Amino acid sequence: MSQPQQGQPSSAPNPTTFLHPPPRQEMEYLCADCGAKNDIKPREPIRCRECGHRIMYKKRTKRSECMPRSASSP
Amino acid sequence: MPDDGSKHTFNTLARESAFRSPPSNSSTYPILNEFVAPHIESFNALFDDSGLPFGDGDGRGLLSLAIQDIDERVVFDGVVQSGTGANYKGRGNRLSIWIEQVSIARPMVPDRDRRATERKVFPSESRERLTSYRGRMNVKLCWKVDEANQTVRSVTKDCGLIPIMVRSVRCNLRALSSAELVSHHEEPEEFGGYFIINGNERLIRYLILPRRNHVIALNRPSFQSRGSSYTPYVVQIRCVRPDQTSVTNTLHYLANGNAMLRFSWRKQEYVVPIMLLLKALVGASDKEVFEGVVMQDYKNTFLIDRAELLLRSYKIYGLHSSDQCLDYLGDKFRVVLGLPEDWSNLDVGTWLVRKLILVHLDAPRDKFRMLLFMLRKLYAIVSKTCSVDNPDSPQHQEVLLPGKFEKLEEALNQVRNQITQDVRKQEASVDFLDDRYLHRVLARVNFDIGARLANFLATGNLVSPTGLDLQQAAGFTIVAEKLNWHRYISHFRCVHRGAFFAQLKTTTVRKLLPEAWGFLCPVHTPDGSPCGLLNHLSRTCRIVTSPLSASHIPTLLIAQGMTDSFAPSVSGNQNICVQLDGRIIGWAQSSVVKALATTLRIWKTEGIYDIPLDLEIGLVLPSEGGQYPGLFLFASRSRMMRSVKYLVNGKDDHIGSFEQVYMDVAISPDEIELAISTHVEHAPTNFLSILANMTPFSDFNQSPRNIYQCQMGKQTMGTPSTSLNHRTDNKLYRLQSGQSPLVRPKLHNTYAMDSFPNGTNAIVAVISYTGYDMEDAMILNKSAHERGFGYGTVYKSQIVDLKETRGASKSNAAPTLHFGLGRDIRVEPGDRQHPCCQFLDLDGLPFIGTRLVSGDPLAAYVDDTTSRTCFVKYKGDESGYVDQVRLLGSDAGDSELQKIHITFRIPRSPVIGDKFSSRHGQKGVCSQKWPVVDMPFSESGIQPDIIINPHAFPSRMTIGMLVESMAGKAGAMHGLAQDATPFTFSESDTAIDYFGTQLRAAGYNYYGNEPMYSGITGQEFAADIYVGVVYYQRLRHMVLDKFQVRTTGPVDPLTRQPVKGRKRAGGIRFGEMERDALIAHGTSFLLQDRLMNCSDYSTTWVCRTCGSIISLGYDETTNIGISKLAGPGGVHCRVCRDGSNDGDTRIRSILDQNFNPGSNGDITITIPSNHVVGGQAKGSELDIVAVPFVFRYLCAELASMGIAISLQVQ
Repeated sequence: MSQPQQGQPSSAPNPTTFLHPPPRQEMEYLCADCGAKNDIKPREPIRCRECGHRIMYKKRTKRSECMPRSASSP
Repeated sequence: MPDDGSKHTFNTLARESAFRSPPSNSSTYPILNEFVAPHIESFNALFDDSGLPFGDGDGRGLLSLAIQDIDERVVFDGVVQSGTGANYKGRGNRLSIWIEQVSIARPMVPDRDRRATERKVFPSESRERLTSYRGRMNVKLCWKVDEANQTVRSVTKDCGLIPIMVRSVRCNLRALSSAELVSHHEEPEEFGGYFIINGNERLIRYLILPRRNHVIALNRPSFQSRGSSYTPYVVQIRCVRPDQTSVTNTLHYLANGNAMLRFSWRKQEYVVPIMLLLKALVGASDKEVFEGVVMQDYKNTFLIDRAELLLRSYKIYGLHSSDQCLDYLGDKFRVVLGLPEDWSNLDVGTWLVRKLILVHLDAPRDKFRMLLFMLRKLYAIVSKTCSVDNPDSPQHQEVLLPGKFEKLEEALNQVRNQITQDVRKQEASVDFLDDRYLHRVLARVNFDIGARLANFLATGNLVSPTGLDLQQAAGFTIVAEKLNWHRYISHFRCVHRGAFFAQLKTTTVRKLLPEAWGFLCPVHTPDGSPCGLLNHLSRTCRIVTSPLSASHIPTLLIAQGMTDSFAPSVSGNQNICVQLDGRIIGWAQSSVVKALATTLRIWKTEGIYDIPLDLEIGLVLPSEGGQYPGLFLFASRSRMMRSVKYLVNGKDDHIGSFEQVYMDVAISPDEIELAISTHVEHAPTNFLSILANMTPFSDFNQSPRNIYQCQMGKQTMGTPSTSLNHRTDNKLYRLQSGQSPLVRPKLHNTYAMDSFPNGTNAIVAVISYTGYDMEDAMILNKSAHERGFGYGTVYKSQIVDLKETRGASKSNAAPTLHFGLGRDIRVEPGDRQHPCCQFLDLDGLPFIGTRLVSGDPLAAYVDDTTSRTCFVKYKGDESGYVDQVRLLGSDAGDSELQKIHITFRIPRSPVIGDKFSSRHGQKGVCSQKWPVVDMPFSESGIQPDIIINPHAFPSRMTIGMLVESMAGKAGAMHGLAQDATPFTFSESDTAIDYFGTQLRAAGYNYYGNEPMYSGITGQEFAADIYVGVVYYQRLRHMVLDKFQVRTTGPVDPLTRQPVKGRKRAGGIRFGEMERDALIAHGTSFLLQDRLMNCSDYSTTWVCRTCGSIISLGYDETTNIGISKLAGPGGVHCRVCRDGSNDGDTRIRSILDQNFNPGSNGDITITIPSNHVVGGQAKGSELDIVAVPFVFRYLCAELASMGIAISLQVQ
């Protein structure tokens, strides 16, 4: 992204957002083979830290405790 | 767990404990591994370490045998070196290439991935990651350059990844116990037998083929068109090599008494005179041939005449010795066969005879004898002393099993072609002595056999230059749908007759033949187009897959009085030929042959002399115009065999479809006729398939009803799998409230039916109650529905693969699309939060449990190049819940997230219009959910779950359902699992009495009738109502998937008529016959409404003078502004006005052509005045008429071809 030749046009919708990259949010997933909890950041390879398995399941959680979300959502 | 003797229980506790802790040393249901054995063993047979018995062979797998059969390929470099003599006539150095070894590994994690602790790949991973379950294949390729003291050099070539059959010898689940299977995310009942291709389970289905190594006589008029003097008479043999590849040889009878042998090579057919081959094989003298054909039957002038004709007609060739004939053959076939250039004609001829003529035999002498036998049989059918065989009969059939390989040969050919190409190009780099050159050549050759096999399995299309001696090229594989257990297991038992026969107009191939008894189920076949072509193996039918040892049988038989095959003079009309797998092993008189057959049968049942139990002893005794006599022994593979009891010694005997025709098998012990019956069935239900066995009391039903049940059992919404959360099927139907049936046959337990429940026990009242149960409709008790009766779920899945999304970089470089929310999405809660955050998590994936409707975002990804966030939408017109989100990694686990698999759960509670059925072919549609207060009730207060109409019974005669109703009621009262095995009751011991007594003991009416009271008035019905418990299945056909309704909607842009198709919100065609009906009824307004107003109603200008409608469209919208549109002088027809402007020319042209200005078109159509929508006043010559839009389109099209249409407006 920092490469100049990719040339982000100045007419990008909201150029201000380019200044600070988004926080690399770690997400917790479950290994499909051994069931271990794995924290995987975006753009990290999908692989279990325990057994090296290559499938993850998304957890059934709204993650409300770590990031407060609007409770008003129906 | 199956059948633990406790006859009347549901085995609830045993099942519970087996579910909780599956056995860790064995399988829960061992029989399940047995019935897929043909699939698995035929795949295992490919390998040297198959675990199958050796039989006569040396235990080598079919792969080894096949590569042994592939000849070396030879090329010459054309470089004549001074040093290397002129041995090769200027062809240069001789390079030969061959394959020495093939190995296939188990599915493993690629070596690139070093972190995986489990190196094996298991099928569940392939399923979940939507990849194929495959192992690496390697080939050891050897080459040698003659001359120049070259040694053999070799290279190991990678042939790609070969799909591996689950639970085969190369599978990592091989021989695992149920507990271990569960730990690898499989069902405890997993039995394998299929391949996993891109996450789908596919299996190669059985195909019926002509019986191998057996001469069959045919009479087909179509053979006459093969050439002049060809006749319909033919004998045919399908010869099978040890590696299970086959070649068909056909012997044609010519009108002049000669015979021609036909074979095919690379899909091209060739015909050779039989005499040429007889001579070529052993150099037989004319006397030898004559004696061989006539066999001392000198009184038979027919035979002598033909033999003489054979010999005479051959004289013109002038070839006498074996070498001369082979040389002649080699000369003619040299170009076609593509053998090494330095081979002599003799070599080529020998190769031809070895590879294409009677390939199941090695020795030329054996081939010679067999050809003579074929000739004799041919003459026998021509002279009508024996009958032709029926190729449709299972007697002459066997089953094609999965496990064929020949792609290797192709690869080798490619190597050769590549080199020859190089040689032609005269490249300087061609140097056979240089290793690097060969490596370079090999690198250019496509060795990816794995991809080709995967393609074969995925599509079922066979791409092969030889055609593999099969009649079809497509449709070899099917998807093993896990719709429910019934459907799944019947995939593994189905046998197809061949796609070729599906197009046949005649129905003879579809007929149910008595020869099929016990091998193919007479009940279990679909109705409709595949009827009779797609059959299912009966429950006890097995297919021989292991090689048998039979090489010692000839000596044993000779010791018992058989004349050896090389005896110089055998009388043909007194002796009967004895054959073992298509090889003549001797001759014997018919009384001796009879004794031989009996002795062999006793030996094989008793296990004496190591005679295999699966040996088939087909004894055909001489008869007047019957089948050609002989004692035909078969010990080859892929025959259908079944188990019966041999009466002589009470032992188990296996009989095949050929011998069964000539045997007397009693169905039950009381049917045994003394001195006639030789065998008796183990159970009278053994001739039924597994599914047909599951129909309770099927012997009480009219037979088509049992056929319908076999189909409906396979369409039931049941329990597809017990490892649902590891499945990635596109669509799964699941019944939430499955029960074990109260009334079930004994085999229900044996085949794990209780692990996958398929329906619900329902209280059924047979009564005509509200009128809503007319015409096979049924009324559902609303409270039963609310308690979960027939409640089901549909699981659908959607895959999001960023690699295949628009905007993805096609190269293998780092991906440019990433799952997640970009910076342009405001995730902070509040009013300005992006609406997608209701559905999506920060990783761009949906929350589990979110309810989605059509069009909601399903996943978000960021495009690096634009830095924008894009959304994948949920497609599907029903709302569903996200059930599972799978993040799928790459093969080696080294790339970031690019592919996800989302499972949706769509609840489907029964609604009006859903289809239900009992197990007796009695299907019906739910017409009302009737409130419980208004349902009728019995004296004990029981209200039915389902009401069906009594009219469902008289014409369909499904007495089995009535019996089930009684049995279920009694079973529910006494707590019994009622045995519903067919053929257990008799006239003297009736089912009615058995269950009636039970009912009476429970305090009910003996016949199952009860007084009932109307739920609406509370009055007792005049008649007693038949109430009982029947197991009901919910079928997967649901209104929600089917309803099609539209008022307005999309139209076809060309015709402006409504489009068709449910998916596109289209209409249902109101066709000619419907139109006829409306015309006949005189409902003209309705007709106008359907065909015009609701379809392509349009209006157009029409010129009153010339009748043309070729003009700009008149649209309703412009109606308002007509005055504006009209130019000075109003709306006018330009053609006519132009014409009137120079009136002279117009009048002249009218006079010239006798022109009628009222209708100047090629076609004239009169439009009545009431169709004129808006007449134009003010002297305008244009009217507005209503016409269908297609008519305007037609006029435009015709005009483009120079045809004018003129409308006469009155």
